[in-house]
Amino acid sequence: MTHKNHTLTRRNFVAAAGAVGFMSLACPSILRAQGATIKVGMPTILSGRVAILGETASVGARMIIDAVNAEGGIDGRQIELVIRDTKGKPDEAARITRELINNDKCELILDAEASGGSFAVHEVMRDTGLYCIHSISEASALTADPANHVHWIFRSGRQGIHDAIAGGLYASGLAKNGVKRWAVCSPDYSYGRDTTAEFREFLSVFAPDVQFVGETWPKAFQPDYTENITNLLNIAPEGLYTCLWGGDLVAFFDQASLYGLFDQFQTVAVNMGDAPVLEAIKNLPAGIHSGNRYHKDVPDTQANEIWNTAFRKSGKLPTNWGWQAYTGAHFVVEALKATKGDTNRDKLADATRGRKIVSPHGVDGTVTMREGDNTLIGYAVGYGKTLSTDPHLTDFQPTPWDVILQHEAEWKERKKYL
Amino acid sequence: MKPLTTVQCDCLIAFVFFLALLALGVIFPSLWLMDTLTALFASGLLAMSLHLLVGYTGLVSFGHAAYFAAGGYVFGMVLQANGFVEAAGAWSVPLAILAAFAATGLFALIVGLICARLSEVYFAFLTLAFQMLFVSLIQGLVEFTGGDQGLVGGIPRPVFLGIDLTESWDRYAFCAFLFTAGVLAIRLVTQSSFGYTLRMVRDNERRTAFLGVNTYRVKVVSFTIAGSVASLGGVILAIFTSAAYPEWASWSNSGEAIFMIMLGGLNSFLGPLAGALAMRAINDVTLLYTTHTDLAKGVVILFVVLILKRGILDYAIDLVRNRRAQADNERAKALHRRDGERVDTREDADAAA
Repeated sequence: MTHKNHTLTRRNFVAAAGAVGFMSLACPSILRAQGATIKVGMPTILSGRVAILGETASVGARMIIDAVNAEGGIDGRQIELVIRDTKGKPDEAARITRELINNDKCELILDAEASGGSFAVHEVMRDTGLYCIHSISEASALTADPANHVHWIFRSGRQGIHDAIAGGLYASGLAKNGVKRWAVCSPDYSYGRDTTAEFREFLSVFAPDVQFVGETWPKAFQPDYTENITNLLNIAPEGLYTCLWGGDLVAFFDQASLYGLFDQFQTVAVNMGDAPVLEAIKNLPAGIHSGNRYHKDVPDTQANEIWNTAFRKSGKLPTNWGWQAYTGAHFVVEALKATKGDTNRDKLADATRGRKIVSPHGVDGTVTMREGDNTLIGYAVGYGKTLSTDPHLTDFQPTPWDVILQHEAEWKERKKYL
Repeated sequence: MKPLTTVQCDCLIAFVFFLALLALGVIFPSLWLMDTLTALFASGLLAMSLHLLVGYTGLVSFGHAAYFAAGGYVFGMVLQANGFVEAAGAWSVPLAILAAFAATGLFALIVGLICARLSEVYFAFLTLAFQMLFVSLIQGLVEFTGGDQGLVGGIPRPVFLGIDLTESWDRYAFCAFLFTAGVLAIRLVTQSSFGYTLRMVRDNERRTAFLGVNTYRVKVVSFTIAGSVASLGGVILAIFTSAAYPEWASWSNSGEAIFMIMLGGLNSFLGPLAGALAMRAINDVTLLYTTHTDLAKGVVILFVVLILKRGILDYAIDLVRNRRAQADNERAKALHRRDGERVDTREDADAAA
């Protein structure tokens, strides 16, 4: 039996190195011609107490990207979603986003970070100059404050100010029925304080005779709410506003229910209306006034029903984060279709700005990426009441968008954002 | 030719090290590598400056991340201040760095003056208390610091001396320079007579005091220098992220720096740097398989503490030293045996004669 001599000679080595060098230079064009994937980076929270945020956001984004890939992709190119855990830490979010761009070679970013992290991602995207859509953060300043405006960065999530206007208007209806003395119990960090301040501002606009008689501010991930509950019992308000969310909201409701807190006054909980929260609370009290977040009956359309069923096939319950990431991915796909797969940030931004897309979450079956501040409008906003059993939310009262837009413009003037 | 003094020798090594970092960026111009190294420069300076306290002075500070964050915040706030960039023009960034260095030094001096009166666990707790106070200040002064959302809106970094910090290569090179300068500063301190006084304070404070040394003053100066150098790490991270976040000042960040020192080695100058590198490697490798990075870090720390019983670099240095000693020993034994044989041969020859 004969053996070929496989020793690597210097000549062979030089030839191989030359070939590799040529390939690396020629690669982008070859890969493009062969339909290389378009990589979309997604920094999000996949660990800790709010891991559900990243898990459901991933499901939402994958729904639309898988559908596009199944149809053959964009101009023959498949889209690959590269998802990374940021642990909810802003500095980690900044680092991971840079890695997604530099190491994983993502050409655009679909940010699925909570508020703190999204500002970190925002600065990285401003620095690197790549196209980005924030899909989760509700902090109004992210897109409303001109200091943060970057023409290639968008937001596909709901905005705190929209919910504040809807909440203020809804709560003013309660005020007309005698709920005049209000207290707040919101998380002790920027999101909680800003959102609560916005709610107070608009409740005072719509019902100037209300009074805020007390406030209590639980910390993030606080295990025991006894102190806050006792405080609320002492204040004895007629109405309570809370923007606690996720696991914190569930823990607060479970503990406060033991004291019969919700039998003593009306409660407005903007973040109650998400299926995992509604189903996680052990004895969900009836009659809690809640924002819609995501609900299968809001809007009450067949498209939303189909979307809800499709989402649940993943084994996860649909959330507000799920539809927001879905919407973000939808805008990404539509922009890529318009540019025929070109990921140039200015071309993508031009294709996104002012675009209206068909959406199961839109009030009229569409949502729009508003020009001017690159933020989403037209999605379902409003309040309803909880039920102890399925469907958990009833008597939904949508807030008309013309009312929201009018008050938002006045708010921007007051904040000197215009 | 006159032999180089220790200071000259350290400066020369630092210069060569800086050139090596630049060469690394030129030979491997990968954005990933440059970004990874830039982040390492920041955490490396945090750990190395803390090592000046923990390893050389014997002071375990649990609040060191506060000075790291203070550097980043002062740097960002100065550059974001209305009219500063317009007034300072091309000198904005160097002036902001000087401001961050000086302001953090002052902050560390004030805290040091209070904390250095105490020792051991009381000192550690007081530094932790000041760190918590600082975090509360960051979160409370929303108008200036952005509260818990951090210093957002981007930090302007105008071009200076032809260096554009928005460009990857320029940013990397400049951060490498800051890092080298910080490490060199710590090195010069540890190699000076003051550095040896620090070791004396660490080993026996009372005996050092009997020798006439004002140990309180020595500890305060050490604390101030460590805080000032840590601020450079914060500046690097602020340049890198174009922002600053309250998490930088958190006790967990201080704890991570202590882990880095333990992991790398308490008894070697570059131990903390090795720890920072190892910590980053553990984090990135773990993330390839699972999100439980803290669990992996815990297991490695347990291994280092229970099995190696010292940091990685200390272990490696001891290993080399032991092998060398063993080799020397064997060589000596061989020589001894040969000498013995020679003596025997001579004695036999004498007897035969």
